[in-house]
Amino acid sequence: MDQRPLGVLRKLNLRMTFSPMSIINNTNFSETLKFWPRHNEAIYRRLESKHSWVENGGDGAAGDPLENEMILNIGPQHPATHGVLRAVVKLDGETIQGCVLDIGYLHRGVEKIAENKTYQEFMPYTDRMDYLSPYSNNVAWCLAVEKLAGIEVPDRAQWIRMMMSEIARISSHLIWMGVGLMDAGAVSMFLWTFQAREDIYEIFDEVAGARLTVSHSRIGGVATDLNAAGINLITKFAADFPAVLAGWEKLLNRNRIWIDRNVGIGHLSAEDVVRMGMTGPNLRGSGVEHDIRRFEPYLKYNDVDFIIPIRTEGDALARYFVRLDEMKESIKIINQCLDKLKTLQGPVRANDAKKSSSSKNEVFYSMEGLIHDFMYTDTGVAPPKGAASYHAIEAPKGELGFYLQSDGTGNPWRARMNSPSFTNLQALETMMEGGVMGDMVILIGTIDPVLGEADK
Amino acid sequence: MPEKLTNGIKAPKTLPFEFVPQEAETAVLNNPHAKATTLVDDVLDAMEASFGTAVLERVVYAGERTVRISTDSLLEICTWLKETQGFTYLADLAGIDRFTEEDRYEVFYNLVNMTKGKRLRVVIRIDEESMTAPTLCDIFPAANWNEREAWDMFGLRFEGHPDLRRMFMPEDFEYHPLRKEFPLLGVPGSMALPPQVPTGELTQDPFPAAHGSKTPWSFEEVESEDDV
Repeated sequence: MDQRPLGVLRKLNLRMTFSPMSIINNTNFSETLKFWPRHNEAIYRRLESKHSWVENGGDGAAGDPLENEMILNIGPQHPATHGVLRAVVKLDGETIQGCVLDIGYLHRGVEKIAENKTYQEFMPYTDRMDYLSPYSNNVAWCLAVEKLAGIEVPDRAQWIRMMMSEIARISSHLIWMGVGLMDAGAVSMFLWTFQAREDIYEIFDEVAGARLTVSHSRIGGVATDLNAAGINLITKFAADFPAVLAGWEKLLNRNRIWIDRNVGIGHLSAEDVVRMGMTGPNLRGSGVEHDIRRFEPYLKYNDVDFIIPIRTEGDALARYFVRLDEMKESIKIINQCLDKLKTLQGPVRANDAKKSSSSKNEVFYSMEGLIHDFMYTDTGVAPPKGAASYHAIEAPKGELGFYLQSDGTGNPWRARMNSPSFTNLQALETMMEGGVMGDMVILIGTIDPVLGEADK
Repeated sequence: MPEKLTNGIKAPKTLPFEFVPQEAETAVLNNPHAKATTLVDDVLDAMEASFGTAVLERVVYAGERTVRISTDSLLEICTWLKETQGFTYLADLAGIDRFTEEDRYEVFYNLVNMTKGKRLRVVIRIDEESMTAPTLCDIFPAANWNEREAWDMFGLRFEGHPDLRRMFMPEDFEYHPLRKEFPLLGVPGSMALPPQVPTGELTQDPFPAAHGSKTPWSFEEVESEDDV
């Protein structure tokens, strides 16, 4: 039996003489499709079109595909869909008439897992959600738990978290830039952004002990303080990166191909983005001044000087400039953090064994410390029964928030993750409609989705 | 081997903390992470003045205001919040399984007023008997995917939703995994999984190798139609 749905239906189409709509109606999906027949039927029905890839002329002969509607299935395994995004598009010639996104191919049920883990145990799972900026996710989770349990975090830990989150923002935007440009045909950009990302990996390796899945943040602080080597690497990166970025700007900002491929593509007005609930740079590229760092400042964002880049054009080019400027602002914040950390000394974790894991000095040298360590690993933080709170941060992709409900035990009763990629992807269907097929990869790139986060 | 003590600090003899059960109030008062955006008492007072008995409960925790309203007046109150109070942005919407006999499910709506900088959480409860809630898609199109997710994960139906398909799981899946009674390991055989070889049958077993199934070598595979 042929496993490819399109192949099966094409064979049917050549034999049948009735109108194309009835192909869907007359196809028994559970016979023709081996895999998830009801799911695929629902997607094809959603497009509610003349469901055929080659519309026939009525006499049984297949028409010219360029002059007729066709359904094209892109993904989930496709290099331009940035992960496992599946898009089923209805094409009229080259124009996209309708688009249905199908996500969930990376669904691991992290919300269910969180309900069965202690708060600290779940933290490493957040690395695997937005895997392009794991540090921000760690911080988002820890802040949410700290709000729920009312845990105060030492100042030095907050500054470290803020600095590392901004480095994570740069690393995420670098991937967006490299992959987005590769989609547009500029393969060397991809290699250059990965060179810069390599420097960031080295920083994370030195600071957290891991290059990608950092898991450095802890409830009540961070795992380890910065060492001299880490500070040197960060200082060097913050000093060198602006020149690298300026070089790329020289290449891209007046580049005819890059501008022409982006200008006017995927246009969304300010009302549209608010209506569709978009977040992050996609919101600010349309002129909406909304950034969680200003809206409800967390960590020490009130104490640093930076601006929120805004563009009003609302197209892919505007979003490119917003992200580019955000990287420059991040460097500004990192430099201020480095200055502050020179003078600000102190602990990097809350000194409360019921709320934060105790230091190794205590664990190794005192009986109480060992008991606390055991209790913290076994049960961990236990926020009051019935408590519920929501804390959001401005992750590289937008508002990343956790809504947590406690039942008084060490495991959350409900852990809801408000992920920016999921929120943003919702608008992609609308953006694609009316566009042309060649712009599809640019549109996916400009949304900047990470499917690990969108699929939860 | 114990960690080396740095800077000549010796391990403290008496530790500065004691193990006592946590007081419920400590986290409520003076929460270090409370935000100014969640102080929306004026909005809630106005809501109570306009809708009276439809406002069922007001909860404050960590400075956050949660208001529980009756399911019937959800559309009315959300329209009012959007049009007169400026809550134009729906940040989040999701279901909660309370696992109680009455009003088992909850749906919360996280609404944001961008111009005034306010955040408000509205909650409705849904009984297991009805399992339906009115859709918010007409007021906030952003609710579309989130409601699909709540349908997928909890089986809550949103009346009037334009496209209530499952969000993450395939349509062929018959369970709602975030319900509390759904086992963490999943239900064996509940979902068809890809065959082990291109020509093979679908498998229902997520761990076939552990149960004695062996994948054939490529030179042992039967030729498929495509190879010819």
